[in-house]
Amino acid sequence: MTEVLRVERLNKRFGGIVVSDNVDLTIARGEILGLIGPNGAGKTSLFNLISGVLRPDSGRIFLNGEPIDRSKLFRRARMGIARTWQHMLLFRTMTVIDNLLVAPRAYPGESILRVTFGLGAVRAADRQARDRAMAILTRMGLEHTAESMVTDLPFGQQKLIGLARTLMNDGPLLLLDEPMAGVEGAAYETIKTVVREEAASGRAVCVVEHNVSFIRDLCSRAVFMANGKILQDGTVEELISSSVLTELYFGV
Amino acid sequence: MEYLATVAILIALYVILAASYNLVIGYGGLATVAHPIFFAIGAYTAGLLAIHTDLPPVLNVLLGAVAAMAASVTLAASSLRVSGDYLLIASLGFQLGLLQLIRNLELTGGPGGLSNIPSTIVGAARTPIFLAITIGLAIASVLAIRAIVQGPYGRAITAMRDEELAFTALGRNAMTMKIVIFAIGCGIAGVAGGIYAYYFQYISPDQFEVLQSAQILTMVVLGGMGTAYGPVVGALLLLAIPQAITFLHLPPSIMAPTQGIIFTTLVLIFLFVRPAGIMGVDSSKVRS
Repeated sequence: MTEVLRVERLNKRFGGIVVSDNVDLTIARGEILGLIGPNGAGKTSLFNLISGVLRPDSGRIFLNGEPIDRSKLFRRARMGIARTWQHMLLFRTMTVIDNLLVAPRAYPGESILRVTFGLGAVRAADRQARDRAMAILTRMGLEHTAESMVTDLPFGQQKLIGLARTLMNDGPLLLLDEPMAGVEGAAYETIKTVVREEAASGRAVCVVEHNVSFIRDLCSRAVFMANGKILQDGTVEELISSSVLTELYFGV
Repeated sequence: MEYLATVAILIALYVILAASYNLVIGYGGLATVAHPIFFAIGAYTAGLLAIHTDLPPVLNVLLGAVAAMAASVTLAASSLRVSGDYLLIASLGFQLGLLQLIRNLELTGGPGGLSNIPSTIVGAARTPIFLAITIGLAIASVLAIRAIVQGPYGRAITAMRDEELAFTALGRNAMTMKIVIFAIGCGIAGVAGGIYAYYFQYISPDQFEVLQSAQILTMVVLGGMGTAYGPVVGALLLLAIPQAITFLHLPPSIMAPTQGIIFTTLVLIFLFVRPAGIMGVDSSKVRS
């Protein structure tokens, strides 16, 4: 298995609260890793540390063998770390298609020089991005919403748009923060299919999720976190039957 | 006629100021009160160069804009690194501090200001030529800003203003974009300053007080913040109304308070009736 992400002895604390306590983690190409644990376990903080929203106090992070822990948030995204957000953070005054169009790893339209002196190339990149965006929306059955304002869509569809926007980044690592929270019905199945397809295409996927059946359906391996520590790392079945998990997670 | 033309030139200059302030604060979401000082940097740079060198006026105005841009990059790059909120505080300090410096330096003429700026264009055609230049520049600024905020760059600006964290996590360099937007807006204000210095041939620190930014902001808000033509309407309205009142030949003791009352009333009416401004679209009524 080829390793995409390696996290070594990662530490982060906010005053007395430890959100990452000597975390070691690897995710391989094509793997879907489940990250489970109670609220406040440090799952989202781990995503924030990996994607670069937070700076670790100590420890290293490698993407495809390259150290990335000194790189800024936007550089890590360009290197190919794509992530979703628990609260979606969609661009709410924009249409669905525009939400996706600003999301590719390279977006020449953010440079005033290129927009002024190379508008042709910028527009060409935009057309390419539009084709990719429409293909992603079609995969999710949302191509008809392209010109709608994101805030006019129901919650489940907004959730899908958040995922679609993240998929515009075609990098090697995909971090999904509670993709299923508040989602039911058709959207649920769509997200499952899309996540499977992304892993099958060779990306490393990590999913934070409270929905155990979703984890069971998708992940071969899962990690259990509590109080910033990784307590267990194994197959999903091992984890679900483990006493540590039942005690801490289900409070039984 | 001469008087009306001067008023028109002033309106055109304020259109440039309001449009550029709108780019920074309305589109870029960058809270700043330092716009008058960048207007001043353009004016003083062009004025000093005109007095002390033989450089062509166009170049002097451009150098004024470059100086305003350079100063704005220094301010934005240092304060935005901390947080967006710091720009507001830093801009206030920058505005007050630099104006105090201008007021106390011998080079800038101190509190008395800078006079004897060469006339450049002489004769009967002077005012019409300046009128044409300022109106041309006002139109160019408004159209240039409209071009910036549309298309791929504008899309990025909107996304950044909507949700900066998500925007950055997609690989967008929000910091650079903010600095660039700020620099463009302040550079345009610098151009207006240079023209102002050449036309009036006299500039003083009192013309660039921090309260000016309240006046420009009122123009932007009345016209419609974050709209391309709002600042034009706002500047026209706010400068034309006081002039119109002068023609009523009221005694000065009534005149001055009347203007204040009309401004305040206008702002209040707009806040209640049309918070998005004249050119703005009420977001609660938008439905696609």
